[in-house]
Amino acid sequence: MTRPYVPWLLLGLALALAAVYLFPLYWMYVTSLKSGSEIFANPPTFWPMAPDPSVYPAVWTRRTMGTFLWNSVVIASGVTAITVILGTGCAYVLARYRSAWIDFGLFLILMLQVLPASVMITPLFVGFNQMGLLNYPRTAVVLAAAAKSMPFFVVLVRATFMSVPRELEEAALVDGNSRVGAFFSIVLPLARNGILVCAILTFMSSFGEYIYSKSIIQDTALQPASVGLSGFLGPNSTDWNSIMAYSAIYVTPILAVFVLLQRRIVSGLTSGALK
Amino acid sequence: MSRFLGSLRDGIGFDLILVGAAMLFLLALAGLPLVYNVLMSFQQVDMFTLGSLLRPFAGFANYVAVVAQPEFWLVTKNTLIFVFASMAGQFVIGFALAIFFAQNFPGASTIRGLFLVSWVMPGLVVGAIWSWILAGDFGVFNAILKSLGLIQATVFWKSDPNFALWSVVIANIWLGLAFNMLLLSVGLAAIPRDLYEAAELDGANAFQRFWTITLPMMRSTIGAVLSLGLIGTLQQFDLFPALTEGGPANTSTVAGYWAWQMSFQLYDFAKGATISVMMFVLVLFASVVYVRSTRHEVRG
Amino acid sequence: MKLTHLGLMAGIAFGAMGMAAPAFAQTVIKVWSIDGANAPGIADTLSKEFNEQNTDIQIDYRIVPFDDLVNEALRAFATGQAPDIISLDNPDFALFSSRGAFLDITERAAASDIIDTSVYYEGPLNSVSWDGKLFGLPKYTDTIALFYNKDLFAKAGIAEPPQTWSELVDTAAKLTDPSTNTYGITFSARAGEEGTFQYLPWIQMAGGNYDNVNVPGAVEAIEDWKAIIDAKSASQDVLSLGQWDSTGTFNSGNAAMAISGPWELNRMATDAKFDWGVALLPTQTEGGERSSALGGFNWGIFATTKHPDEAFKVLEFYISQDERMFPEFSSIPARNDIALPETGVPLKDAALKVFQEQLKYAQPRGPHPEWQKISKAIYDAMQQVLTGQVPAQQALDQAQATIKGITG
Repeated sequence: MTRPYVPWLLLGLALALAAVYLFPLYWMYVTSLKSGSEIFANPPTFWPMAPDPSVYPAVWTRRTMGTFLWNSVVIASGVTAITVILGTGCAYVLARYRSAWIDFGLFLILMLQVLPASVMITPLFVGFNQMGLLNYPRTAVVLAAAAKSMPFFVVLVRATFMSVPRELEEAALVDGNSRVGAFFSIVLPLARNGILVCAILTFMSSFGEYIYSKSIIQDTALQPASVGLSGFLGPNSTDWNSIMAYSAIYVTPILAVFVLLQRRIVSGLTSGALK
Repeated sequence: MSRFLGSLRDGIGFDLILVGAAMLFLLALAGLPLVYNVLMSFQQVDMFTLGSLLRPFAGFANYVAVVAQPEFWLVTKNTLIFVFASMAGQFVIGFALAIFFAQNFPGASTIRGLFLVSWVMPGLVVGAIWSWILAGDFGVFNAILKSLGLIQATVFWKSDPNFALWSVVIANIWLGLAFNMLLLSVGLAAIPRDLYEAAELDGANAFQRFWTITLPMMRSTIGAVLSLGLIGTLQQFDLFPALTEGGPANTSTVAGYWAWQMSFQLYDFAKGATISVMMFVLVLFASVVYVRSTRHEVRG
Repeated sequence: MKLTHLGLMAGIAFGAMGMAAPAFAQTVIKVWSIDGANAPGIADTLSKEFNEQNTDIQIDYRIVPFDDLVNEALRAFATGQAPDIISLDNPDFALFSSRGAFLDITERAAASDIIDTSVYYEGPLNSVSWDGKLFGLPKYTDTIALFYNKDLFAKAGIAEPPQTWSELVDTAAKLTDPSTNTYGITFSARAGEEGTFQYLPWIQMAGGNYDNVNVPGAVEAIEDWKAIIDAKSASQDVLSLGQWDSTGTFNSGNAAMAISGPWELNRMATDAKFDWGVALLPTQTEGGERSSALGGFNWGIFATTKHPDEAFKVLEFYISQDERMFPEFSSIPARNDIALPETGVPLKDAALKVFQEQLKYAQPRGPHPEWQKISKAIYDAMQQVLTGQVPAQQALDQAQATIKGITG
């Protein structure tokens, strides 16, 4: 049935599709290397006439990107930690039972996700102010952003727990394990890959957290890279090669990590590694 | 006390703690702001009362005022187009890619991984890149279309009322594709191979197999993808200021951006809250769809 | 753990910075402005200098992006976190002053040796006044005029920049050359304050104003703009480009004329590789009424400040440095008693003269506490017409109805 050249045709098609899809990324890198006037050239050039990588170190130091990126890492780590700690248990319980209460719980989690961050920020700001949390702005952002990423994490990890065979947990209970014991020694290890992958995804998406940070964190030294970038995109900036260089510096590390880990990420989610 | 500890170890107490901690956290950080917004939509708000909960009651005045805005129906129409077009694009292309990469060919999983990069791209950066690609006079998108002979004259993607909304849709499909493909790939991988083999022996063609096996087996995945996709699409914000700012003449303004504009550009916080509460209805609908879809789940 | 550790280090670093100043009791005055994000600006530079004087007042300066400035200030004010001093775009000022959120400095200004309100231009002074009281002081002012590429004009055989609206339409058409990707003119008709900023002067030239936008001349003006875009004498992207981006195409030679302001002068002096000049905005008819937009920022002291006297001293210091406004920051002081020195760049000096002339006709937007809503009605109507969705008269009538509902 299958002819030997079919896989190679598919590979070719896959590469073509990937090329189309990744074009915006390519364009980001190429634009960052162009000179100011070449950027506005019509028709545009697909490869810079005189690539100028010096914009990278210039942007890095002028924009104090080291500090910005470090803050992004701090915030994303905090968000991921809270989300994983609180979300895993919640997802487990929601996967374990099937009842109207569970339906209600799932429903509630999604409903609490409904408002866009831009509308949530005012009440959160008011609340944080009353609790004095505005003096610890990064902590405040971590809390707010964790609430935003939690529902997504719960829904995904719940799916992972669904694929952990119930019999294994019940067997452990019969063997005299407590529920707590069974959870930590049987269920968690089996769902580990899925949780890890979802944690990585949570980390990556909160690495770009913007709306909360820009309103809550007033001190430039504590702001993440997204806020630093928006300072660039103000009404009076068309420093497009620098903007693109900034964007490239911002996303390249996460892209690199992602490309390195992607086999694990995809297999962790798809093949389940659970069966 | 010992009964409580016992329940903690063996019974419902453990479950309650696990769920309760997360729920309390969510109620405090997402529930209270929600209540605040609902409350605010029924009140008169100004800069002096922004920080308090007790404000003059306004009844449905804000709702009436929002519906009476000349752009209300335009925004409603745009929101529906934006949501359906974005979700349809993300879902159909995402599904097609997921099926494509589920085939057995060299490099399949590696190349699929490349498609996930949009996941890690901050919306702000994606907006900046697309704004640049879609520019009218010096945008590369027009240059490509022209060289392919698809268009003759320059298309002003961001400034033409016929295209402005679609330029955001295009960027949003790009942005959300990774998410859709990832979740759908997970769902596909969970379908037992032998089902397909049996169907093939029975002489079912590819389309029939998709219709009778793939779709029904993926019901809960599809439910999750669509409901999370709807929420994500409604919340999409970063692309709008970067691409069109809702213009020209509100032809690309959607509810989420409008709510933001009311609150943070026109400083009418009550109307901003009112619009966001109206969006609620849509998400309510999505949540019901999702929760219903979990009814068909099978435990492994 | 790591988090607190870092916080501690930051704390120590801050402490060390504070130690450089003398150790007597200090009052900290918080100042917010947009200056200093991309290059040294007015507020950040002056604040630093003030702190170096080591008085018993220290300024804690914070950069807030332009788009977030007002809503950050509103939120901070509502929660009792407002800074002591803020610098706002002039149309946003009335939102605060009309509600008494700013300190009434009428008497303080009258008693001050440094501040003399009689030297300020009328427009800027109006924008800091409400109900006959003074709530702040102008920081600098600007306006818009017509930049033109003299080389392209010479090539097309046009001697003078256009004087009237219809001449502008014709000139733009003559200068357009698709083969070199040159548009006749560029401006900003964006869905935002910049769009209103550029269109309102035309309404005013026709005898209208922000609360009277559907005058016949306003219809004519926007129809002229539409004619320019329809004839492809201007890129349709003027509907989404801001003034800075739009003028960028002028600088690169892709537009023969541009409507923009003096904030461009420094960039244009280096970027534009051709001979250029500035002309007053064309009028409706020959010798008709002139008008232009009034831009620029103001200083205000929040009424919630715990240190009104010290905050006022800081304000006095900023005002006392007004003479440096143009030479150092290429911003025009909003007062008539400062002679602007020659910069040594002839094109810039010539341009400045035109801008100073144009400033005489500049009219403020508002002042009105709900300015942003009025502005949205104006730029929405403008965009509806320019995209051909609604006829000019109908769009402006609707805008007028909306504005009427706001101004009462």
